[in-house]
Amino acid sequence: MIVENGREVVIRVRGLAKSFGSHQIWDGLSLDVFRGEILAIVGGSGQGKSVLMRVITGLVTPDAGEVGLFGQNTKTLSPQDRLEIERRWGILFQDGALFSSLTVLQNIQVPMREHLELPQAMMDDLAFLKLSMVGLPANAAYKFPSELSGGMRKRAGLARALALDPEIVFLDEPTAGLDPIGATDFDHLIRKLQQTLGLTVYMVTHDLDTIFTVCDRVAVLADKKIVRTGSPTELQRHPNHPWIKDYFCGERARAASPGERPRIPA
Amino acid sequence: MLKRDHQVILPTQARAPGFRVELRGTTFRLVATGAWTVAEATQLDSALKRLRVPIPPTPDFTGEMDIAGIAEIDTAGAWLLQRTAAAWQASGLRTRYAGATEAFRILIEEVQSKGRAERPKIEKRNALTQFTDDMTKTLTGVWRDAVQLTAFLGEVTAALGRMIRQPWRFRTTSFVHHLDHAGFRAVPIIALICFLIGAVVMQQGVVQLKPFGAEPFAVNMVAILALREVGILLTAIMVAGRSGSAFTAEIGSMKMREEIDAMRTLGIDPMDTLVLPRILALVVALPLLTFIGDLMGLAGGGLMAFAVLGLDASNYLDKLRDVIDFQHFMAGMIKAPFAAVIIGLVGCLEGLKVEGSAESLGTHVTSAVVKAIFLVIILDAIFAMFLSGIGV
Repeated sequence: MIVENGREVVIRVRGLAKSFGSHQIWDGLSLDVFRGEILAIVGGSGQGKSVLMRVITGLVTPDAGEVGLFGQNTKTLSPQDRLEIERRWGILFQDGALFSSLTVLQNIQVPMREHLELPQAMMDDLAFLKLSMVGLPANAAYKFPSELSGGMRKRAGLARALALDPEIVFLDEPTAGLDPIGATDFDHLIRKLQQTLGLTVYMVTHDLDTIFTVCDRVAVLADKKIVRTGSPTELQRHPNHPWIKDYFCGERARAASPGERPRIPA
Repeated sequence: MLKRDHQVILPTQARAPGFRVELRGTTFRLVATGAWTVAEATQLDSALKRLRVPIPPTPDFTGEMDIAGIAEIDTAGAWLLQRTAAAWQASGLRTRYAGATEAFRILIEEVQSKGRAERPKIEKRNALTQFTDDMTKTLTGVWRDAVQLTAFLGEVTAALGRMIRQPWRFRTTSFVHHLDHAGFRAVPIIALICFLIGAVVMQQGVVQLKPFGAEPFAVNMVAILALREVGILLTAIMVAGRSGSAFTAEIGSMKMREEIDAMRTLGIDPMDTLVLPRILALVVALPLLTFIGDLMGLAGGGLMAFAVLGLDASNYLDKLRDVIDFQHFMAGMIKAPFAAVIIGLVGCLEGLKVEGSAESLGTHVTSAVVKAIFLVIILDAIFAMFLSGIGV
């Protein structure tokens, strides 16, 4: 276990480099994620925000650098240990990435079936519980993903990500494509679940409202690395970087900043 | 997963979960210890199910879930506790929790409030109703398909009529593109398949006819068969699989991305730009491919005739000239444009039927191929009856 300033570091990324063809997206990227925080990764398009999430979760291999999860270096993990670690996180992909041939209930039960041997009745009960925790009505359980709206698909995807009570959840653009009301509801849901389940949330987002209302810390991806981390208000007050200034001090940011809008209490 | 001590950092030790029930004064206590997490849930579940629900002898007995000994808890653990508490509550014990940290309390309350949601009943139909339902659906589906296909044929004919009156509407580039893709690029595979089938039929024919001493007649069989049936059928089936499916996929993915709606709003008729060039290209390409298929079938037969009958090329050609009539060749060839229209119509219509999702695209591509092949074979059967009726 790695500890820094009295907080446990659950994800430690050091010296990451990755190129696609001749285009280098990062050079020496480093990042720490602490237990129990809601961290937002922001950055312009093409800076590799989603790719970073994929590198951490092992879907993409970096050209250089190291990823440490729960204090273990992913390079030296045996497949068995890797599986153990995969059980400790949940991922919500952009459009939910639900399996289209399974109902919502079956989708939520997939991780339970794969990793554990639970009795069917218990899996049903737990899946219904998760469904209601993410704010979906019980009658959504027997529907197929194609019968759900975009917002419901995201919630169902979140329920699947939470199926095994993970320690970390990765959210890829959780509020993209939702209407403002739906997005606000989703922000509240994330905060609520983070508190109830003691989650660490790693979120890729563009949404300034989400950043200002729920995120504890923001990491800014620019110039091929994480240029700054800090609380949203801190970054807004002292940008110290042209991109951060544009992002946090532009018109939209002023409208979304906490002066105008109450923060969801932590 | 929530841990009891967030601040104290120790190497996590998975402590085995457990519980015991005791009676202290007038309080039944469930003393839970260890890690109540989803990984341990199966074990806890069966142990808790074996636990008898205490029956209060007098109404002033109460229940208590003492969770001070729980080191880790998650939703599954909280749910198990809650289920037990609810069962105790139902037997008349007022049950409360003791020893919960703030975080544990939030989780347990959440599970308490969310676990109560009513569940929808899945209606189960009996096998007979299900069977008849499915049957009705299939049959009406067939009827609907037939109506749609006929209507689409009408639309295409109307569009063709318009185009003949206004020839500048014809999309030459698109037509040539599809001629290349559906026609020219299909030559190698169709040539190879027809060649092989010709050879196989000749070899089998010789083997079967040998006991009657009639093996030279295998040449007649191959020649007639290749020209009348095998050439056109194989070619049409290959084209249905290759180009019919491609038409559905191309038009379907455009439909999916709303490109077709965009076209309509820009005043472009998808009939002119997408459907007609494809169907016309097939109508030109399929007879040509059939001709190549016929020749390759005969060539394959010739190779086998040389191998098993010892007929050299000139003898084989002489025999072919005796056997084959122009009408045999035409009997096969006449079917080609009809088959082309069927494959093109089915491919384009299925493409236009695609809805928003990728699954829908997959279903329609499959059904385009299946329907096109089915209809081509039906067409072939109708022609066989018709041609024998008029004595060709």
